[in-house]
Amino acid sequence: MLWVDKYRPKTLDQVMVHDLIAQNLKKLVTEQDCPHLLFYGPPGSGKKTLIMALLRQMFGPGAEKVKVENRTWKVDAGSRSIDIELTTLQSANHTEISPSDAGFQDRYVVQEIIKDMAKNRPIDTKGKKGGFKVLVLNDVDKLSREAQHSLRRTMEKYSAYCRLILCCNSSSRVTEAIRSRCLNVRINAPSEEQIVDVLEFIGKKEALQLPSGFAARIAEKSNRNLRRAILSFETCRVQQYPFTNKQAIPPMDWEEYISEIASDIMKEQSPKRLFQVRGKLYELLINCIPPEIILKRLVYELLRKLDDELKHEVCHWASYYEHRMRLGQKAIFHIEAFVAKFMSIYKSFLIATFG
Amino acid sequence: MSKRNSVVLLSSDDEDGSINRSNHGYKTKPKSKKSTSSRGLKKPRVSTSETRFSNLHQINLLDEDFNEVFTGSKVSADTQRSSTLEQWVAKYKPCSLEELAVHKKKVEEVKTWFEERLKASKGIYRNNVLVISGQAGVGKSAAIHVIASHLGATVCGWNTPTPVIWQEHLYNSGAGAQYTSKLGEFENFVEKIRKYGIIPTSFTGESKPSVILLIDDLPMTNGKAAFGRLKDCLHLLVYSTQIPTAILFTDYGNTDSADYNARCLEELQLSLESSGACKVAFNPITTNSIKKTLFRICQMEHCDVSADHVDHIAKASGGDIRHAITSLQFFCLKPNQVHSLSLFTDSPGALKDECNKPVRSNNGYYLHYGRDETLSLFHALGKFLHNKRETRSSIKYDQDDFLIQERFSRLPLKMDVPEKILCQSHAQPGLVTGFLHENVLDFLDDEAIDDAWTLSSYLGDADILLANLRGTLPSDNDAGSVLQSAAASVAVRGVLFGNSQPLSSRWHTIRRPQLWHVEKASLYKKNEMLRLKFPACKCLSSYHMSVMATEYMPIYKLLGNRAYGVYNEPHEEVLKNMDMEDVDFDQMSLDEQVRDSDDDIEDW
Repeated sequence: MLWVDKYRPKTLDQVMVHDLIAQNLKKLVTEQDCPHLLFYGPPGSGKKTLIMALLRQMFGPGAEKVKVENRTWKVDAGSRSIDIELTTLQSANHTEISPSDAGFQDRYVVQEIIKDMAKNRPIDTKGKKGGFKVLVLNDVDKLSREAQHSLRRTMEKYSAYCRLILCCNSSSRVTEAIRSRCLNVRINAPSEEQIVDVLEFIGKKEALQLPSGFAARIAEKSNRNLRRAILSFETCRVQQYPFTNKQAIPPMDWEEYISEIASDIMKEQSPKRLFQVRGKLYELLINCIPPEIILKRLVYELLRKLDDELKHEVCHWASYYEHRMRLGQKAIFHIEAFVAKFMSIYKSFLIATFG
Repeated sequence: MSKRNSVVLLSSDDEDGSINRSNHGYKTKPKSKKSTSSRGLKKPRVSTSETRFSNLHQINLLDEDFNEVFTGSKVSADTQRSSTLEQWVAKYKPCSLEELAVHKKKVEEVKTWFEERLKASKGIYRNNVLVISGQAGVGKSAAIHVIASHLGATVCGWNTPTPVIWQEHLYNSGAGAQYTSKLGEFENFVEKIRKYGIIPTSFTGESKPSVILLIDDLPMTNGKAAFGRLKDCLHLLVYSTQIPTAILFTDYGNTDSADYNARCLEELQLSLESSGACKVAFNPITTNSIKKTLFRICQMEHCDVSADHVDHIAKASGGDIRHAITSLQFFCLKPNQVHSLSLFTDSPGALKDECNKPVRSNNGYYLHYGRDETLSLFHALGKFLHNKRETRSSIKYDQDDFLIQERFSRLPLKMDVPEKILCQSHAQPGLVTGFLHENVLDFLDDEAIDDAWTLSSYLGDADILLANLRGTLPSDNDAGSVLQSAAASVAVRGVLFGNSQPLSSRWHTIRRPQLWHVEKASLYKKNEMLRLKFPACKCLSSYHMSVMATEYMPIYKLLGNRAYGVYNEPHEEVLKNMDMEDVDFDQMSLDEQVRDSDDDIEDW
């Protein structure tokens, strides 16, 4: 088991990073029936960990007994019926799904599952609260508008039977209507000190010798992503132990690849080069790196090497094409258009300055 | 009452017609009365024809009716009767080598081939099979017949038996009839030919005449097994036949070869060639020789058709002489009709105008005569990508036209309107966009990065338009198709506009979009990750795909198997291994899939 999973806090009391939020959540659940919740924050900040700990708090250890299930829903959509296949994670009291996996059919999924849950809700054994199930929805921000709308309605209709815990990266892409129906919990990215604390904690548990400053370096590289910090910590441990102070922290391969692309772009601006870049972008896409992340990282790499004068314009075009990418279907068209635009800007800049 | 009326009208018309038709007319007349009862159904057609068509034409219709009625009751002697109204295609069948519109060299080639085979004694030539391919209506079978008669040989063909429909067979099966498919019958035929040759039955007294075997229509095959049988059977024929044999293939070269049957035929041709058959490909007949033939026919029919029209018919036929002749026949019928109309409506001057008009406007109007032109996808793509333009603008700007800034103005295109080409190529917008995206960068000047940007931006626009289709139900097709064609139009025009300094054309291969492969591969990866997703976090929760892709997979790669081996408890290890096996298995199947898809594309 990876350290990320091994040292994931199981209960709200064990939480190290967002301990204040954890305490509040605990109070919330123990005192009364909990409202719908919306967790949002950058990746690797601990949303999922908090949610799992919260579920355990609500339902006891039973919440950890989950089974993976591939389920197919038959949905009537007007004249025809659609089969939607989704993988769910279920325990007696909760279900977890990522509806955005269903693509543009996500709106059916949300409704259908909630209805389903409302139908087979657990029997109220002790005659008190607990007669509800929890539905954990991942990536709510990836849901289409329609799906979010239908989610809003179902939330109200079935609120007596089930609670929703929504989880997403950015709350700005969740409609106002849903946000106002939930208790919003913002999970910040942990600070570097917090990450160092966690790494040192793990080091102690694993009985490792940590040279001073080593954890800090990993934390710095991790971009305030705790999961990533722990993963690269473990990689370092596998690659070389005992640690040395000069030990390189292995970067992610796709990030290196993108910085390679960036330097390609800076070196030559021509349709031929654009074509080569396309090939490399395809490589990334084959490895399922989300196109938004590719674009973001690419802009980051390009900006690092760029004259200040151009930064504003480049950012403008990057955001322009990011928007179009969301509207469109095939991301490569738009990333490529951005690269072409950048090449065009950069080339005219070079000609203007150096003649 | 009305029925009777129409009959009366008909018979009177019939009499008029019979004057034209000399001796046949009187035979027709009594029959028309006999068939009244069955004619009742056809009344609307006949009565409208009465007002709109000439007498001549009407009798044609009548004849058809007769045939319909009487072939049912076994009076088939009358079918050949309507000699004056015979189709010109049959009437002016070429009788001599000179009349043949096929290119001289090709005719010569085929002729010498047959000559050699026929003169030589048996067994000199190993290959006695000639494969003739060509578009429909280029005179493949006509050439064979003419050459055969020139050489004094008899053409024997496989008389295609009437196919038995399965239901029919089931119905008859009580009588003990065996069912044989067309393919089976063909196989039997080939078998006989191979073993016994053709036994001349009617020629007893004279010396043995030379015989040419003509296989004109190969049986249809469905599915791989049947196709394989046909292939084997033809193979054997090529190896062992002693009679000079011509096999005709009709190409569908112009249309997309995605059609399964067309591809089969191509494959068949190749396999025949590889087993030693000679191949002659007939090209579409040139406009000039079609024109020559048409003029000849005009002379013989005493039709007055202007050179312009003949030219037009010849051009529109697309090298299909049969089509051209039929068009001419139709056209020669037409003046009567126009004439009768003109009595009511137009003065001759207006008519003339009408006639001149199509020549000037030159599109759409003349489609009565022409075949719908189709372009292959690659042809269309080539047009777009090569982006051929006039060397300088010939258009004078009127005062009303607003002048476009220089950077937006382009020289006029040397092709039809892009939308028309798109329409002719019958390509799906998504496909076109994909192909353009894949290939367009090859056609750009090395310096023209600005152009590249314009292009890719337009392609992005097209993509957005196409993406709007996502999620709509198939029922709202209309809006969808408008969007689709708009997207294709944007993509094509964007490509044409964006490439502001088209390179002088040189040879480029057009690649298939790599994007397809990328999409497939990433889908596979995604599934693989989904499989790993749950074992990856045994801790009750799942990660999102992007997290898996960006953080877990690289780490897994770095850690390799040590991640499992060192840190896992044994039973988990087993579990992992099983997972890995699963994955491997899937990988194999994916490889297969990919290979399959490659095959598909190569056939494109």
